[in-house]
Amino acid sequence: MSPSRQGGEFPSVAELELRAVLDAAVDAVIIIDSDGLIESFNRSAERLFGWSTAETVGRNVSMLMPEPFRSQHDGYMHHHMTTGERRIIGKGREVVAQRRDGTLFPVFLAVGRIEGLEPPRFVGFIHDVTDRKRAVEALRRERDRAQTYLDLAEVMLLALDARGTISLVNRKGCEILGWPEDELVGRNWFDTCLPAELRDDVRGMFAQFFEGNASPARYAEHEVITRSGERKLIAWRNVFLRDERGLVSGTLSSGEDITEQRRAIEALRQSEQLLRDAQAIANLGNYEFRVPGGQPYWSPQLYRILGMDPSRPPPDFGGYAEQCVHPDDRERFLREWEQLEGEGGHLDLEYRIRRPDSSIRDVHAIARMHREPDGALKVVGTLHDITERKRAEEEMRQTQDRLTQFSRLSTMGEMAAGLAHEINQPLTAITNYAQALQRLLAAPQGPDPADVQLALQQIAAQALRAGEVIRRLRSFVKNREARTEVIDPLQLITDLMTFAEPDTRINDIRLRIETAEPLPPVVCDPVQVQQVLLNLIRNAIDAMNEGGTTQREITIRAAREGEKAVEISVEDHGPGISQEVADNLGNPFFTTKPTGTGLGIAISRSILRAHGGRLSHRPTPGGGATVFFTLPIMPGSQT
Amino acid sequence: MKEKPPTVFVVDDDEAVRTSLRLLLKSVGLLVETFASAQEFLDQFDPDRAGCLVLDIRMPGMSGLELQMQLNDRHSIMPIVFITGHGDVPMAVEAMQAGAVDFIQKPFRDQDLIDRINRALEKDKAMRGELRERDEIRRRMSQLTPREREVLELVTQGKANKVIAGDLNVSQRTVEIHRARVMEKMGAASLAHLVRMVIEAQREN
Repeated sequence: MSPSRQGGEFPSVAELELRAVLDAAVDAVIIIDSDGLIESFNRSAERLFGWSTAETVGRNVSMLMPEPFRSQHDGYMHHHMTTGERRIIGKGREVVAQRRDGTLFPVFLAVGRIEGLEPPRFVGFIHDVTDRKRAVEALRRERDRAQTYLDLAEVMLLALDARGTISLVNRKGCEILGWPEDELVGRNWFDTCLPAELRDDVRGMFAQFFEGNASPARYAEHEVITRSGERKLIAWRNVFLRDERGLVSGTLSSGEDITEQRRAIEALRQSEQLLRDAQAIANLGNYEFRVPGGQPYWSPQLYRILGMDPSRPPPDFGGYAEQCVHPDDRERFLREWEQLEGEGGHLDLEYRIRRPDSSIRDVHAIARMHREPDGALKVVGTLHDITERKRAEEEMRQTQDRLTQFSRLSTMGEMAAGLAHEINQPLTAITNYAQALQRLLAAPQGPDPADVQLALQQIAAQALRAGEVIRRLRSFVKNREARTEVIDPLQLITDLMTFAEPDTRINDIRLRIETAEPLPPVVCDPVQVQQVLLNLIRNAIDAMNEGGTTQREITIRAAREGEKAVEISVEDHGPGISQEVADNLGNPFFTTKPTGTGLGIAISRSILRAHGGRLSHRPTPGGGATVFFTLPIMPGSQT
Repeated sequence: MKEKPPTVFVVDDDEAVRTSLRLLLKSVGLLVETFASAQEFLDQFDPDRAGCLVLDIRMPGMSGLELQMQLNDRHSIMPIVFITGHGDVPMAVEAMQAGAVDFIQKPFRDQDLIDRINRALEKDKAMRGELRERDEIRRRMSQLTPREREVLELVTQGKANKVIAGDLNVSQRTVEIHRARVMEKMGAASLAHLVRMVIEAQREN
């Protein structure tokens, strides 16, 4: 400590005490006079500024300041002295100081005016705040970094105080909510960002947390409403913020926008539901399994189709064949499956299943098999419950049969005149013979035995002839199931002549049969095909009665058509088929005849369709129409 | 001139019916000829043969009705009994309008058919009788001289001899001689007989 006063006087006790105080002070203490000249400069000041007391006392204190403060200091002093205005005195502020070596450092300066002296003096306490500044700066950087983290976070981060005021929200939060940060911070969270219907609930819960009545939900999902009014579903994770006393002072929440994710999950759920519904509606189940091993997968509908308990795992393939496949179909089922790989891995099979309750269903199975990279076989397939369809088909078939039968009777009805004639002829002959016999026997000269012989023999023959007509008629109109036979086409046609010929004869039409070559047997239901033929002949007769050429002749022709079929045609010389009729041909109930049902051709068509053929027509050379169809040749027959 | 006995001609395409008819008609003593088609009958048709035709109305080729038309074209007088089936009434009516004697529906009682055939044969006989008489009158008329024909014409017009003499510008006596010759040549017993013969001769066949 150097003397602060010039002169050799010994310092007073007060002076010594003051010096001791000043030297012990941690802060620099500098006393200046009203002109700004340094009067006292303590040890801490020396250390801080790098100047010695001797170098500073008597000099202007502005030496300790950098420009521009250095130049301005005298002005401040003067201003204070003349106006008494206090800018710094009693307040203290942070200023920049300059060391002897020119370096600058932050200090906190507190200035006091020493009253009672005239002119007054001023004492300055200077505290080096370099370390504090550094700490604050570090803190600020730390905070900035934290903010960066907050902003980088891909979730919304949100801090609320106890009243629900937003005290912090990160960039993601602003992005989700559609607000700029500065507008959002300070607003009430509940009023600003929650949909009206949630506001009270969430606010109430929030209040309970703060009262300590409820533990916070660490995870919650609820909707928020954005600035533009859009709703977004947010998954929240919440923690409490506590003050230094350990009391809850606010909440910090992270919120993830799961709107899209939830939408995708919902879409997936819906599409799964859709698949389940579709399977239920179609009554179609699907499955997957691997050979060897692996648990088969059965869709819920598959369980339902099979009537199996869905809570139990599906049986393996062998178990399925044993438990589910109808015993009568099992062998076929297994055989088809065995061949599956050889058939290009594709299975298409109808069989019956038996449910645990013993009810029986028809199913249609389609499966594909392929080999996995690891060598295992993977089978994916569907099982379609076609019981109802089968039933409908059966009913359809029966209806078709009845209709066919009806049409046959109806055609037969149209032919009644011809048939009556056909039975009438033998009856007439029989009557004649019997009556002749009576007369011959009654004659006085007695009968010629040859005549008696002839008459009796003819009576028998004609009775058989009538019986045969009736027999054929019966077998033709009898209610019967469709059945397939192998038959010579010529036989088929000639058998029909019993019915067709009388009708043509009474209409004065010649009926000719023409076959160019011996024909191979065909596969068909003879009665149904005869029904078609009879219908066509009947139509030909009607056509020729309508007009056309003078050639009163119908020709039934049978000829080979390619490798696999025989064509049978009915050729008339009527007026031909007009475009209008051709367009409507085969439409049920379309008829050109006053008493027609309009079913003949339609039914003929369906009969032929069932035989794999179709009904067509072309003009007969020279006028008229030729209607024709094909029948399949029995495979493997050679002619 | 001696005629053949009347014949029943049966035309039916159904052999059994045809043969049974032949036996039936034979059993009642009728002479029968059978034909399997209309054309076959037409080919051997002789208008001078007496008898009747039993004809199936429906036949392939030429039908019964068509045969009737052909016979009409040939001025045949042969009576026809048609045999019809069920539902052939419209055709039977047509046949009757074209001059058929009768029709009968199959099957029939033998007596019904025989009655019809007999009626037809009687009709044929009567018609042939008339025809023969007319031919005789015409033959006799052809033997008259032109003057006698003139007198015949005027006489049958009911004119008195004196009027005829005036018309022909001859004497009444000459008219009387011609008139006696006409009566004699025509074989007329009376004036009324003569008039009837002239009317008969003028009838169409």
